[in-house]
Amino acid sequence: MSLLRGLLKAGVSLCHSTLQTTRQISTGVCCLVRMNAIPELKKVDRWTEKRSMFGVYDNIGILGDFKAHPKDLIVGPVWVKGFRGNELQRLTRKKRMVGDRMMTQDKHDMEKRIRFLYRHFNRFGKHR
Amino acid sequence: MFRISVTVCGRGISKRLASSFSGEDALPSNLRIPSNLVDRARAERPPPPSDSSLPVLRRCDAAVPVHLSPVQTWVETLERRDSKQLGLVDLHPDVFAVPTRIDILHEVELWQRNFKRISRAHTKVRSEVRGGGKKPWRQKGSGKARHGSIRSPIWRGGGVSHGPRGPTSFYYMLPMRVRVQGLKIALSSKLAQDYLHVVDTLNIPTPDPQYLMDLIRYRHWGESVLIVDVGEELPENILQATESLKTVNVIPAIGLNVHSMLKHEVLVLTLEAVKFLENKLLWHDERFTLLYPFKLPYTDLP
Repeated sequence: MSLLRGLLKAGVSLCHSTLQTTRQISTGVCCLVRMNAIPELKKVDRWTEKRSMFGVYDNIGILGDFKAHPKDLIVGPVWVKGFRGNELQRLTRKKRMVGDRMMTQDKHDMEKRIRFLYRHFNRFGKHR
Repeated sequence: MFRISVTVCGRGISKRLASSFSGEDALPSNLRIPSNLVDRARAERPPPPSDSSLPVLRRCDAAVPVHLSPVQTWVETLERRDSKQLGLVDLHPDVFAVPTRIDILHEVELWQRNFKRISRAHTKVRSEVRGGGKKPWRQKGSGKARHGSIRSPIWRGGGVSHGPRGPTSFYYMLPMRVRVQGLKIALSSKLAQDYLHVVDTLNIPTPDPQYLMDLIRYRHWGESVLIVDVGEELPENILQATESLKTVNVIPAIGLNVHSMLKHEVLVLTLEAVKFLENKLLWHDERFTLLYPFKLPYTDLP
């Protein structure tokens, strides 16, 4: 009985699938996928020193008696370490912290940009 | 394209024929795990006999809540490749058997990736690009479009109007309790998935990296191992052995973090590391809230 049932099911599924198969038609537009122009995947080593040691000491505050803070681990310019802000806030902080050490042209450009951003944020647009 | 679809339909018919002939014993296709995801070696690893009475080498220092009981796991050695378990160790349930919250793990992982990030992408605005102070040609009469400077954003070689500006930081801090909970959840999931091993000390007989790889493969631990110990001075043998190995790394207990635990498949803790972590992570459950940063002196903190 189970054999008969299996055979019947096989027959039904075959009929269904034969009704759904497509005929082989070609209209002369083959080779749309250019197999010779696909670039190779770049080989990335997931276990370099930097990648395997990423994130170590991030919990130095919790696990290390709060003598250090994770923001002390950040490597970068002084005015941006442990600070987040929009462009105007970053530039004014940079001027306060590092302004007297900057080169003249860079300082002039920075002051122009601060002036422009102050006017942009406080005088134009919907949010003043 | 149509030739490929014909062959695919043919294969599909034969699959359905085979499954219908075999009856209703075969699993449906959505429940079958593909063979490349099933780790046969770990599945065949024989569990240690539960009948043998191993001594409990360490009980929990802190008080365990009444409604919970400590989780237990075996203590092993790294001395010999095929040594047996030395004993059992009690692990505090509020650190090693915490309900798993994948969203907290995700938050902590994103925090670890982003808070250190400083993007140094910078483009010049039209006022910063060299040149472009003079009007290129007169306003009217030349037949060309009107322009005021050759460095405006619509010109080639001109400034970028809305580009990235200067070193940008993505710093933010998650609440301390969320970071602590993330550590606890990571430790609990490692234990629950059988990827946590406790070891008595990190003393190895030889500084040979091959010995460590042999041990890991013999005991079917996994592909990548993170070894954690307390103290500034770690044994020299293990430091030398892991120096040349990429996927086996040793870190002090202060350096433990969710990203490293997720990156490495297996976590190996020493008994002192377990004690240290329990001590540090349980304190946050019963502490007063911050009045001022913990960096500044408190009379009652240890």
